[in-house]
Amino acid sequence: MRFGPKEVVKNLSFTVKQGEVFGLLGSNGAGKTTTIRTLLSLLDPTSGTLLVHGKRYTPAMAATVGYLPEERGLYRNEPVLDTMVYFAVMHGLNRSDAKKRVLAYLERVGLSDKAHERLISLSNGQQQKIQLGVTILHEPSLMILDEPTEALDPVNRSLLMNIINEQRTNGSTVILVTHRMEEVEQLCDRILLLKDGISALYGTVDEVKNKFGSTVIALAYSGTVPLNEKLYTITKQLPHYAELAWREGVTVDEIFRFLASVPDLHLTTFDVRRPTLNEIFLTLYK
Amino acid sequence: MWNIISFETLRALKKKSFWIASLSPLLIILVIFGIEYFSTKSAASNAAQQAQTFSATAKIGEFDDSGLISQQLIAARHITIEPSKDAGVAAVKSDELDAFFYYPKDPSTMNIEVYAQDKGISFSPPYNTAAIQLLRESVINEVNSTIKNNQVVQILEKDPAVTATTYKNGVETEGLLSVIAPGIFAIAFLVLIVLLASFMISSTAGEKENRTAEMLLTSIKAQTLIAGKIFSIFILGLVQLVTLAIPLLIVLLYFPSQVGLPAGMTLGLIPLNFVPILFGALFFAAGLLLFTALLVGFGAIFPSATEASRFLGVAIIAAFLPIYALQNVISSPHTLIVTIFTYFPLTAPLTALLRNAVGSFSIGESLGALAVIIASAIVAVWFAVRAFRYGSMEYGRRVGIKELLR
Repeated sequence: MRFGPKEVVKNLSFTVKQGEVFGLLGSNGAGKTTTIRTLLSLLDPTSGTLLVHGKRYTPAMAATVGYLPEERGLYRNEPVLDTMVYFAVMHGLNRSDAKKRVLAYLERVGLSDKAHERLISLSNGQQQKIQLGVTILHEPSLMILDEPTEALDPVNRSLLMNIINEQRTNGSTVILVTHRMEEVEQLCDRILLLKDGISALYGTVDEVKNKFGSTVIALAYSGTVPLNEKLYTITKQLPHYAELAWREGVTVDEIFRFLASVPDLHLTTFDVRRPTLNEIFLTLYK
Repeated sequence: MWNIISFETLRALKKKSFWIASLSPLLIILVIFGIEYFSTKSAASNAAQQAQTFSATAKIGEFDDSGLISQQLIAARHITIEPSKDAGVAAVKSDELDAFFYYPKDPSTMNIEVYAQDKGISFSPPYNTAAIQLLRESVINEVNSTIKNNQVVQILEKDPAVTATTYKNGVETEGLLSVIAPGIFAIAFLVLIVLLASFMISSTAGEKENRTAEMLLTSIKAQTLIAGKIFSIFILGLVQLVTLAIPLLIVLLYFPSQVGLPAGMTLGLIPLNFVPILFGALFFAAGLLLFTALLVGFGAIFPSATEASRFLGVAIIAAFLPIYALQNVISSPHTLIVTIFTYFPLTAPLTALLRNAVGSFSIGESLGALAVIIASAIVAVWFAVRAFRYGSMEYGRRVGIKELLR
């Protein structure tokens, strides 16, 4: 994908399987939003093809797709009910069904008394709930959420997580565009990490972790973690947290027994884990 | 598309600003009518009443060379008959009379002369009205007593209705009245351009400002969306025209003389000729489509309605430009400037509407201008669709025309 002389997405190829939560990751300017806009035919690709349900996306497929764009907003001077019904009808629902679903959704998110209020009179958090409702009201089989938790307060973030989970349980596919790695860890089955418009990592979360880094032992403690060149090296150390990489041929049991025997060390956590996506992300962008 | 039309139309109809904009011209027109009506009526009745009061209370003398003044009226109003004109003037000068009226031999061709006391600007008695009133009432009394014909008296008391017939090259024409029906489309075009221009621009600029463009474009084709917006603007225009027309029609139907319509003029006399009306309607619709699409398109390429509205002045000036050449459009329709205005897309609608109204358009010229306007409108709609499709997601910046054409 090219904007004038600048090529913003290069040689990208990926597949999203039905029913999975797919994470499209990358830092700002990596090409995530451009990829999504091209997928939804908002931009024309310079070359190549992007297909949704095996076809080039057209607005005629709107009933099957719920899109929450990065740049989002609603008609601030219009009543909540009118705005939500307008978008729901545009997504293929008939007016009476749309109205019923809107009222049910507002009831669910505690905003039923706001149905006839103008959006501008609602708080930011309440407006975010309305925005989410507009995206999911027509029960799409594919949800594309571009930075969905950006600017969300904790209540709405939790609501969104629940909604994504529900959609997944119901068999919907979710494409989550984000740079928040903790959300990806919690939700995504597979990921694609874009760096400067190029696919830097692609696969299941396990595959990416296996490919990218080795398992570490994470410790939370009080006291001092002693050095032990035979058993491990300390890869990260903070006052009450450390990560250890163990030597070849050494077992976790041996390291645990050793640390448990150190008199001035009191362990509160001993966690054998692989590197987080956040760590992988940071390493990749170093 | 009905979803878009109903949503866009209803949200505009719910806005106070729409009704303020719609009703303000009507209010201005009604105020002008009202002022004219009341000032004419009150001025006339006040003058007549003051004249009567003055005649009944003041010391008035008269000398009649015409023989038309009624002796009965003179007696009833205690007006003295002076021995001569000079004597009457002298009586005023010596303050014996407040006023002296001299009626010449033939008042239909000669001036009635009034001599009176100067009471100052703030209290100036209606000397002239009183003098005319005396003559007029005397004549009516005379006619009434001799002819005994009620029609004659009525004709003298109020202006008779007039029907004018005009000819061109020996063939009867409908004169100025024939301009009215097709001319209404020109007025409607100008009114709607002024009233709706900001709605046209903000209909797309608002989507950009509200950040709703991406959600819309993934749900509906840009063509459908723009068509829906244009239709809704047309409906709003219709609402505004009806809002203006109904009260004006009521006033013109029931109070024609009070609002200054010529005597005998009624709406029923306006000729309804099919061809000019048809062309008027077509020029109006295509011209409105052209400007609507153009402004909707410009709304999509500017980052906000405020910035887009800078273009508004240019569009309105272009639409109104033919007014500056109105004299030529009416009387010299084949001059170069009128020809340019007729076929230049932005000036074509109003020029065509005016020429169609005044009858200076042949069928061939009408079809040519209509083709230009329709073709321009199609290009403008294409531009609007493209501008919304590619410009509405460029938040915070203006999209260049070159970018849209790429």
